[in-house]
Amino acid sequence: MTRTGEVWRSEIAIVGGGILGSVLAGFLAEAGRQVTLIDSGETGGSTANAGSLHVQMQSRFMRLYPEHVPGMERQLPLYPRAVRFWREFERELGADFDLKVNGGLMVAESPDQLEFLKRKADRERELGLSVDILDRTDLDRLAPYLGPAVIGAEICHDEGKLNPLKCNRAIRDWLQRLGVTLLEGVRALSLEQNGAAYSGFTLHFPDGERLHAEKLVLAAGAGTGALAATLGLNLPTRAEPLHMNITEATAPMIGHLVQHADRMITLKQFSTGQIVIGGGWPADLRGPRAHPTVRLDSLTANTTLALHIAPSIAPLRVIRTWAGVNTSVDGKGVLGPSSRVPGLYYAVPGDAGYTLGPLSARLVADMMLNGDAGEDLDDYSPRRFTA
Amino acid sequence: MDAPLQTFTYNGQTVTARRGESLAAALTAAGIRTFRTTAKGAERGIFCGMGVCQDCLVEVDGKPNQRACMTKVNGPLVVSQEAHARPLPPAEANPSPRQAPAVERPDVLIIGAGPAGIAAAIEARRAGASVIVADERAKAGGQYYKQLDVKGSDVAPPDPQHAKGAQLIAEAVALGVEFRHDITIWGAFEGRQYAGSGPSGAVRFEPRAAIIATGAYERPWPVPGWTLPGVMTTGAAQTLWRTARRIPGKRVLIAGNGPLNLQLAAELVSGGCEVVAIAEAAASPSILEAGSLAQMLLSAPDLIRDGLAYQKVARKAGVGMHYKTVVRKIEQEGQALRVTLGPAVAKAGTASEETNYTVDAVCLGYGFEPANELLRGMGVDHAFDPVRRQLVTIRDDGGRTSLPGVYAAGDCTGLGGAKAALAEGAIVGAAAAADLGFGVDPLHLAASRRNLARHRRFQKALWSLYKFGGFDSGLIDSETLICRCEEVKFGDIEDALATDMRMIGAVKRQTRVGMGRCQGRYCGPVLDTLLAGRFGYERHDLSGFAPRVPVRPVAIADLAAEMPS
Ligand SMILES: Cc1cc2nc3c(=O)[nH]c(=O)nc-3n(C[C@H](O)[C@@H](O)[C@H](O)COP(=O)(O)OP(=O)(O)OC[C@H]3O[C@@H](n4cnc5c(N)ncnc54)[C@H](O)[C@@H]3O)c2cc1C
Ligand SMILES: Cc1cc2nc3c(=O)[nH]c(=O)nc-3n(C[C@H](O)[C@H](O)[C@H](O)COP(=O)(O)OP(=O)(O)OC[C@H]3O[C@@H](n4cnc5c(N)ncnc54)[C@H](O)[C@@H]3O)c2cc1C
Ligand code: FES
Repeated sequence: MTRTGEVWRSEIAIVGGGILGSVLAGFLAEAGRQVTLIDSGETGGSTANAGSLHVQMQSRFMRLYPEHVPGMERQLPLYPRAVRFWREFERELGADFDLKVNGGLMVAESPDQLEFLKRKADRERELGLSVDILDRTDLDRLAPYLGPAVIGAEICHDEGKLNPLKCNRAIRDWLQRLGVTLLEGVRALSLEQNGAAYSGFTLHFPDGERLHAEKLVLAAGAGTGALAATLGLNLPTRAEPLHMNITEATAPMIGHLVQHADRMITLKQFSTGQIVIGGGWPADLRGPRAHPTVRLDSLTANTTLALHIAPSIAPLRVIRTWAGVNTSVDGKGVLGPSSRVPGLYYAVPGDAGYTLGPLSARLVADMMLNGDAGEDLDDYSPRRFTA
Repeated sequence: MDAPLQTFTYNGQTVTARRGESLAAALTAAGIRTFRTTAKGAERGIFCGMGVCQDCLVEVDGKPNQRACMTKVNGPLVVSQEAHARPLPPAEANPSPRQAPAVERPDVLIIGAGPAGIAAAIEARRAGASVIVADERAKAGGQYYKQLDVKGSDVAPPDPQHAKGAQLIAEAVALGVEFRHDITIWGAFEGRQYAGSGPSGAVRFEPRAAIIATGAYERPWPVPGWTLPGVMTTGAAQTLWRTARRIPGKRVLIAGNGPLNLQLAAELVSGGCEVVAIAEAAASPSILEAGSLAQMLLSAPDLIRDGLAYQKVARKAGVGMHYKTVVRKIEQEGQALRVTLGPAVAKAGTASEETNYTVDAVCLGYGFEPANELLRGMGVDHAFDPVRRQLVTIRDDGGRTSLPGVYAAGDCTGLGGAKAALAEGAIVGAAAAADLGFGVDPLHLAASRRNLARHRRFQKALWSLYKFGGFDSGLIDSETLICRCEEVKFGDIEDALATDMRMIGAVKRQTRVGMGRCQGRYCGPVLDTLLAGRFGYERHDLSGFAPRVPVRPVAIADLAAEMPS
C-alpha cells in the first residue's frame, strides 16, 4: 500500500493502538469487520505500563481524587472480572502472557494505616472482592521479603501481574493474522464528520493523507480529548506522565504485587527475575515532542520507598527507568457510542487501564456489533460529558 | 609504603594480585577468563575493560554483580564467579537511617577526568572558578592518560604517556581543582542537577555550569564468537597493560581500524606477548595518501614519531600485517580461540580469501562511539556525521551546547582523539569560566585554538588514511548475538522486521534488544544503522534507543535517599 497523497477507506477506523484499541480491533475483525488501526507510536500507557493487574482500590487514587471514590466503588466489580478476562484472552490467543494471580498486598506501617485498610477491606468485601487482613506473623510466612517497618497488610487474592511486553507482542501477531490494517507511526491530526455525499468520517493525517471510515472509534488515551475537540466535542482526558524503574534480575523473591496503604508504590517481580518499581510517581513532558522524561525527585523517592519496604533489594542495581503517559478522566471508563455524533465511539478505560483493557474492548465491541453489551453500562457512557 | 602484593580468593582458590590492580587484571594474570555465566548459561569475561559492557560481573564480598574491571584489589577480597539471577543476601540487620545526599555547588562541574576534562578544569580554575571534576574511576587520566596502578620490581615503569598525564593531573591539583574519584554521574537533569553515586552512596551536584567530558567507548564488531571469553576490545587489552602491566594472553591477535591497534601491538610485544597478526580494515597506506601523511607530519610530528616507533617494534617482532582484512568469526577450540580473517565486505564464496589463526586472546578495535548518554538524556541537540558514522554534539566554538549552562568537550562530542580533546578542553574550560564572569587570558585562548585546529587537521588526515566502509551486516548470520546482555540473536531482529516493524523502540519491546545492563551501548548503533539502511533514512538524535537515566546501573542502596514525606 502506498501512502503519499492517498485516500484510504475502511469500514471501521480506530485511533489509538494501545491495549484497548488493539484488542478492540481484534474483536471487530474476528466478527468479520474490516478495521484500520492507527497509532502515532508515541509513548502511551500500554507500552509503558508495569503489568500490574490491579483489583483492590488503589490508595493513590483514593487520596489524589477523593471525589472519585464513589465512582471507583461502582466500577470495582469490573476489576476481578477484567483479570479473569485476561486469563481467558490468553487462552484464546494461545499465548503466554506470564500471567500470575498470586494476590496483591497493600502494606501498612502504622495502626492508623492498618485501620484504613480494615475499613477498605470491609467495603471491598461487600462489593464482591476476595480480601483479607494479615498480621506480621502471616506476612513472615507469606512475604518474608517485607522489611521490619511493615506491621500488617491487606491481601487481595484476585490481584496479579503479567508481562505487557509479551502481551503486546502476542496481540500484534493476532491482529496481523486477522488482517487488521496497521498504520503505525501515523498521527491523526483532525476528524471530520462527512456531509451529504457520503456517510461516516474523514480522518486527516500529515502530508494531506486521509482515511474515510463508516465508523470511528477514539481509543487514543490522553490524545482522545484533542481529537474529539476537532469534532466540537468535549471529553476532558488528561495526560498524566508517570515513571517506572526496573532492576537487573535476581532469584524469585517477590511473588505478590505489593502496594502501600499510604504511599505511592508498586513493587513486583517479572518472570525474568527483574524487579519493577513504580506506583505513579510523576514524570515531566519535555522538549518539542513533549517526551515523557524521568524526574530526579520521583526516582529518588520511588526507589527509597521500595528499599524501605523490601530492604534486601539494596544491592540490586536499577538498570533503567522510563516514563510514559497515563490517561485520567474522572476515574471511570468512557466506553460506548457518542451521545452527539452517530457512528462515533469512545474506548477509554478507567484507572489501571491496562488491567481493564481487554474486558473494556469486549464491552465496546459488543456495543458496536450488537447495539448493546447485554448489561447496563450507563455508568461509562460518554453522555456525562459533552461527547 | 604498601606491600606490592595482595592475595584474595576466587571461588575459594587463592589468587595473588599486584596491590591496586583491577580484579579483571589479577584474574587474567591467573589465567581465569570466565567471570560470569549468562541467563542461557554462556560464559563471559572482560570485554570493554572500562565499565560499560557489564560482562565482567563477579560477586565481591557478598555483593552481587560487581564489575571486575572497575574493582581494585586493595585488600583481601572474597570473589566468586557470578551467575544469572542469583538469590540476594539477607538485608542488613540495622541499616542506618537514610539521609538526603550532600549537595555540592561549584562554579563548574566537569564530568570525566580524561584529557578533555582535566584541560577544561585547569583553564576554568586558572580563570578563578571553583572546579570539581567527578570521575567514575579511582584515578584521573581518562583513557589516554590512564595511570599505572601497580608497583614492583617486575613492573615496567611508567612511560612518557603516563608521565605526561601525571604532570597534567598534578598541575590541576596544584591549581586547586578538586577531584572526586569513584563517583559515577548516573543522571543529568535539565542542565542543573547532576546525580551520582559513589562509595558512600548518593551524591548531588548543582553547579553554575557543567562540562560533559565523558569520552568514548569502543564500537562493537558483532561477528560470530564476539562474546567468547578472551575476545575483548583493544582498549580493554590496553587497560590491562597500561594500568596493571598485565597481558590478555600469550598469543594474541589484534584486529580493527586505526592506529591504536598498532600501539597496542607494540605495547603487548614489550610485555612479552606473541602478537601473531594485526588485521587492519583499511587499505595499506600507499603513495596516493602522501598528502595525508605530509599533513599529519606537519600537524603532529610527535604522534607520527610514536606511530613509526610502534610500527618498527611490530615489524621486528614479526607481527603479520593484513590490510583490508577483518575478523569474520571466532570459535572456541579447547582453551584457545580460532580466528577467521577475511575481506571487509561480505560476499559469497570468499572462503579461499580467508586466513585462520589460533590464539589465546583476540583484541577488537574498530573505532569508537561517543559516550553522549548524559548529553542526549538532558535533551542536548545532536546531528549525525555520516563520514564518521556517529552522532556529534551541536556546539559553538566555546563548547556551548543547545542547553544553557551545559558545555561538552572531547570524544563524547564525536571522536577527535586525545590531543584534540586536550586542546578543546582548554577552550571549553575557558569559555565556561568566561561566561560565569571570570577573566580569561586571550593570548592563551588563541594558542589553544591554534593547537586545536592543528590536531583537527591531523585527525582528518589520519582518518582519510584509515578510511573503510564500516561494519558489513552481511558478516552476521542469524545465530549471531547482536545484543550481548539479553542474548538477542540477529535472526530475532530479522523476525521482528519481517512483521513490518519499523520503529527501533517497537523492535526493542518485541525482542528485548537493548534492554540489558549495558543499555544498548553496543547493539544500539548496529541496530540503528541497520534500520536506517533498510528504511532509507539517516540516523539522527531520536532514531536510536531513547536515552534514559541511570546511564550506568546503580544499586538501589545508592539511589535511595531520605524517606519522602
Ligand atoms: C578503552 C579505550 C582506550 C583508549 N586508548 C587510547 C590510546 O591509547 N590512545 C589514544 O589516542 N586514544 C585512545 N582512546 C581514545 C580516547 O577516547 C582518547 O581519544 C581520549 O582519552 C579522549 O579524551 P576524553 O577526555 O574525551 O575522554 P576519556 O579519556 O575517555 O575520559 C572520560 C572520562 O570520563 C569518565 N566518565 C564517563 N562517564 C562518566 C560518568 N557518567 N560519571 C563519571 N565519570 C564518567 C570516565 O571514567 C573517563 O575517565 C581510547 C579509548 C578507549 C575507550
Ligand atoms: C508508567 C505507567 C505504568 C502503568 N502501570 C499500570 C499497571 O501496572 N497496571 C495497569 O492496569 N495500568 C497501568 N498503567 C495505566 C495503563 O497503562 C493505561 O491506563 C492503559 O495502557 C491505557 O490504555 P489505552 O489503550 O486506553 O491507551 P494508551 O495505551 O495510552 O494508548 C493510546 C494510544 O493512542 C495513540 N494516540 C494518541 N493520540 C493519537 C493521534 N492523534 N493519532 C494517532 N495515535 C494517537 C498513542 O500513541 C497511544 O499509543 C500505567 C501507566 C503508566 C504510564
Ligand atoms: S569488561 Fe568490565 S564492564 Fe566491560
